[in-house]
Amino acid sequence: MVEIIDVILPIFTLIVAAILTIPVFRLAHKSRYSNAITTAWFIAIFAVVGICVANLSLSYFSIANPPTLNLNLNGMSASPFQSSLLIDALSLYMAIIIVAVSIVVIVYSVFFINSAERLTGRYFAVMLMLTAALLGAVFAGDLLTLFIFWEIATAAVAFLMLFRKNAFSINAAMKYLIMVIIASAFVLLGLSLVFGITGSLNYIAISNAISTVSSANMPMLIVAFVFIAAGYAIEAAIVPFHFWLPDAYTASPAPSAAFLSALVDQGSYYILIRILLYIILPPGQGPIDWTIMLSIMAALTMIVGNIFALVQIDIKRLIAYICVADVGYNLIAITSVTALGMTGNLYFFLIGGLTTALAFMTIGVLNNHGIKTLDDAAGIGKKMPWVSIALIVAGLSFAGVPPFGGFMAKYFVFTAAIEANYSWLAVIGILTSILQTAYIFRLINIMYGKKAKDDKPIAFKMNKKIFIPIFIMVAAIFILGLFPNIILQLIQPVINQLPFFTLLI
Amino acid sequence: MVFPALLTIFALSSISIPFVYLTGRKSHRAAAIFIALIALVNMGLVASTIPTVLESSSHQWVETYQWIPNLSNTQFTLFVDGMSASIALISLVLIFVASIYSINYMAGKKNLSAYYALLCMLSVGLVGVFLTSNLILFYFCWELMLVPAYFIVGEWGYRNSYKSALKLFIFTHAGAVFVLLGIGAIYWLTGTTEMFTVSGIQGAQTLLLGVNAPDIVRWILLALTAGFAVKMAVFPVHVWLPDAHSEAPAPMSALLSGVIISAGAYAILRIAFGVVFPAVDVTFALGFLHTLSIIAIVTAFFGSFLALFATDIKRVIAYSSISHMGYIMFGISLFPISVAGGTAVVLASSIAITGTILHIVTHAASKGLFFLTVGGVMHQTEERDIHKLGGLASKMPFSTVSGMIAALSIAGAPPLACFISEFFIFMGAFQVLATDSFYIIPTALMLIATVFSLAYSLRFISKVFLGTAPGELVEDIHSGNNTHASAEHVEGHAHKIVDVPNYMKAALAILVILVVAIGVYPTFFMNLIQTVTFGGIIVA
Repeated sequence: MVEIIDVILPIFTLIVAAILTIPVFRLAHKSRYSNAITTAWFIAIFAVVGICVANLSLSYFSIANPPTLNLNLNGMSASPFQSSLLIDALSLYMAIIIVAVSIVVIVYSVFFINSAERLTGRYFAVMLMLTAALLGAVFAGDLLTLFIFWEIATAAVAFLMLFRKNAFSINAAMKYLIMVIIASAFVLLGLSLVFGITGSLNYIAISNAISTVSSANMPMLIVAFVFIAAGYAIEAAIVPFHFWLPDAYTASPAPSAAFLSALVDQGSYYILIRILLYIILPPGQGPIDWTIMLSIMAALTMIVGNIFALVQIDIKRLIAYICVADVGYNLIAITSVTALGMTGNLYFFLIGGLTTALAFMTIGVLNNHGIKTLDDAAGIGKKMPWVSIALIVAGLSFAGVPPFGGFMAKYFVFTAAIEANYSWLAVIGILTSILQTAYIFRLINIMYGKKAKDDKPIAFKMNKKIFIPIFIMVAAIFILGLFPNIILQLIQPVINQLPFFTLLI
Repeated sequence: MVFPALLTIFALSSISIPFVYLTGRKSHRAAAIFIALIALVNMGLVASTIPTVLESSSHQWVETYQWIPNLSNTQFTLFVDGMSASIALISLVLIFVASIYSINYMAGKKNLSAYYALLCMLSVGLVGVFLTSNLILFYFCWELMLVPAYFIVGEWGYRNSYKSALKLFIFTHAGAVFVLLGIGAIYWLTGTTEMFTVSGIQGAQTLLLGVNAPDIVRWILLALTAGFAVKMAVFPVHVWLPDAHSEAPAPMSALLSGVIISAGAYAILRIAFGVVFPAVDVTFALGFLHTLSIIAIVTAFFGSFLALFATDIKRVIAYSSISHMGYIMFGISLFPISVAGGTAVVLASSIAITGTILHIVTHAASKGLFFLTVGGVMHQTEERDIHKLGGLASKMPFSTVSGMIAALSIAGAPPLACFISEFFIFMGAFQVLATDSFYIIPTALMLIATVFSLAYSLRFISKVFLGTAPGELVEDIHSGNNTHASAEHVEGHAHKIVDVPNYMKAALAILVILVVAIGVYPTFFMNLIQTVTFGGIIVA
């Protein structure tokens, strides 16, 4: 049986840990064993969180045909603003990804500290708070709880961007904050409209109410959801709301860029899925047909993301544009509304997140050795072979070359598009995918084929242990690509809980 | 319990990759011999399935393992029939030969441990492509042979090697993505990723016949054929081939021209024709085949002409590969269908398809030999301009013999390997002529194209091996020597061009024997190929 405390415990642990991290780091820095103390601190936090999430998923999946559980937070069942948490296969899947990826990224950050920028206790406090906010957003059972947690997340993201305190990062953070404030305003407006029409903010209650909404209220409801979806589309960086993302990722330090791309981007995209597939319901089930709109956005996102990536000279920015393009491939999957598309979507969450995180991790290492633009990258294939191999793995996974995970993801997505009669989207996806291969291999060509400016070997000045998280990611992308069933087993319950998927895989 | 021969091939080759790398750090020769031994063992394993292929009623050897049960029970299906076995065998021979050859050829280059590891990785993909009947696994292997090829061409190639490698990758990957689209559409229509019905799992071949979606099936056929044709480098999509094949190191050129591009032909036969083709209607099928034959003719002429006028010796052979892909495409375009009836039904007998598959094998052996010989010539003379070479017959007798055999086989001269397969293709063409008069002109043109093959082969032999060396060549070699190159001087130092070293000789000798042996006694491969079935009916 799943108790509400099981769900709150990991979030609560992370929040408390985030608050305590600053004093713990202060104390640790005075001690001789500062590294050991901080490492032990993170191990303890993530051991607790990991056990909590594992326990939650085990107890949830031990129920036969697990239902969607709506757990009310405070017993104010009469209040319309009742906070509630929602446990189903999708939120658990996301939670598992968030915990797993944040462990790897935090390990990376720990090793990044010793050798590179001074990431202090504050940095880790924000990272932990961000993880907590994401977990909360994933488990939220009503739009208000979601909104609150998501606002915490965006504040944390802005803080991460400001970490370097230079003009560029302040600029990027301003851009980001303005965008999210607009987004929040949209969402709030939408929320109040939805509340006015349906009398509730709970996912399940809204979903039940909108099927009985009178035709007079229908246009208002559509407007409300357009506002909400537009708000989260801004955060998911869907074209034409994408332009904050490349600046934001470029401005953030590498570990937080990895975290943002792997989790925050995917998290906002998760919210879109939650709203579109679970609350409004797909066309034929719900009152609104959102697939056409979304298919156009998907096409635009793929085209714009890839074309802008083609013209970048800064490697980090290039990867940031690939993140934009990846959102487009995800959108194809959601547009198709098939079981295969959903599978591809969720698989893409994980693999796309891992791949971008890996790319940013390697680029963090490169940046610390003064390699920022494509020209700087000339000849690094021989000077820094291991980092280059990791970057190639990320690139091949982006390009959809088997046996890396990106291939399976693209296979699912394109097949789903064909299945749902969106062949034109599949064709655009394929053409842009070829473009993606072209610029990724241009980068590899520069790394290996172009002569470096000087023959001086690059002295590796970072902690060698930084390769542990990098190669964990490489191994994960390789193994999950070769044996996708590991993930598909987790996705299957999600599909089973969505009754409207007629085309089963 | 049958011994899992094919799984052993996969496992052995993939597990060996890191060991090859580690061995290579100690000794390059050991790494090369390691790969050669693996190839030898794999040959034995493929050979061990041949009795079953020949004798069982289905003419197949199938192993299935659970792989992705949650994706409509996708199996790790390993599959061998006559076509796969013969092409896989010749690929393994080429891998064996290429690794032996690399010992001398690559000596002195940098990072050779990585080279051998990549070669081993390439062999997994290259052999895997021929040994599977699962579309997803096929795609895995298809791309797995591309990535190592990119790095080998780029890192150890000549001149603008990374540019050529980029061309190679982008073009073939673009083709592969269209293949992926086709695979996805097949999966959508049939809900399976198996090509054939094996081990009780219904395959796409059977299920597509029951699907009533003629338009989509046509598009699938076109997407798959176009995607594979890029790998085959037929006329409009050939542009990547001359660069990649001529700039690659010789062992890689041999593999690329020998088997990797033929893998495209294999895939067209296996997937486009084996799986999708029986489901299209007969009018479209005829038009499709006729179009293919026209593309084939253009490709054959185009390749031959460029080979005739190319001045770079490796480019001559690269262009000849294009022209030979034209022959293979022509053979494929003779795919037997019955004109009567609503849907295309594969006929019971076709010499043309037997000839085509045999041509993939014979061309692989001959072209491998040709590239390796020319690689030897380049290695010894450090010259690749056809006008600056000549008269090598007295200095490099061994290479001259192997080069002549290769060139004559490519030209289609009896009793060498390619003659026999071209002969079968033309026999098949005349067989088809009896029912389809469209083929009169293509067949006539194709016969003319063989004359051009002979022309460029003879030009190559006479310019490179026969005649006398032009002065520049000798002077070039002695450019370090500041003394004036008098006649005696040239005489005295001409012996500096010596024949290829021993490992290279051994590699060439194996292929020479093979080319002659297949030409004289094609029965071994013929027996295997004649068991191949398309749409449930044996083709020959």
